[in-house]
Amino acid sequence: MTECVARSIASLAIIAQADEVRRASAWLGQTGSQNGVPANQIGRLDLCLNETLANVISHGGGNAAAAPVWLRLEVNREQGLGEASVSVSNAGPAFDSANTPPKSKATTLAEAEPGGLGLTMIRGFSDALAYRYVDGRNELTFSVHWSEA
Amino acid sequence: MALDFEDISEDFRRISISGRLDIPGTSEIETKFAALAASSGRRTLVDLTDVSFLASIGIRAIITNAKALQRRGGRMILFVGNNATVAKTLETTGIDSLIPMFSDYSAAEQAALA
Repeated sequence: MTECVARSIASLAIIAQADEVRRASAWLGQTGSQNGVPANQIGRLDLCLNETLANVISHGGGNAAAAPVWLRLEVNREQGLGEASVSVSNAGPAFDSANTPPKSKATTLAEAEPGGLGLTMIRGFSDALAYRYVDGRNELTFSVHWSEA
Repeated sequence: MALDFEDISEDFRRISISGRLDIPGTSEIETKFAALAASSGRRTLVDLTDVSFLASIGIRAIITNAKALQRRGGRMILFVGNNATVAKTLETTGIDSLIPMFSDYSAAEQAALA
């Protein structure tokens, strides 16, 4: 029986600033592509990454801004199935974004409030979401799955 | 990022956006976008077919301008063409139920002029 297992990990440290978001996206696109993640799955991860970083920048406060934000990409490809996970670790106040109730959707434009859609998008574009608070840091991990058959 | 517009008629403007509507991209166009939406007639069609990436901050700009138009008695229509990525983002966030979204240009134009 032939079993193909490929596992790879890449990481990047950035600063919680708006102009670092594109550097993070470029890193994800390049390392994801190098490790066989399909373009459409990289696109889903990129949306989740952008929304997570936007939340860190907007709500992380001084601690998040003062310490590096660590990004980690893990890719597993085994027996025709692929999984890619991105973990975002920041030093902001503890916030369990994986289990925070999503913002209720407005039913009319008049009642719609701009903003607050980031968590809805992260949930909508990932296949799995996990949160933990370790050593004074938030770590949110979002994953996508695909079939290579 | 690029943002262009064309006045189809005195009362109907098409605003075309292209590129990444992420944090830096939205920052680049939001002032001009707001000015074009505010100075348009009552009907504005926003063409998103060439938007390669739509983050929530870009959606925020769209909603803000759609609400401002509505307060003035106007209407915004979104045209996505074959851009499945942007269409899915708008559907996932429920924006397509607040601002009419079309993949067919003629249908979008008709809705704007209705």
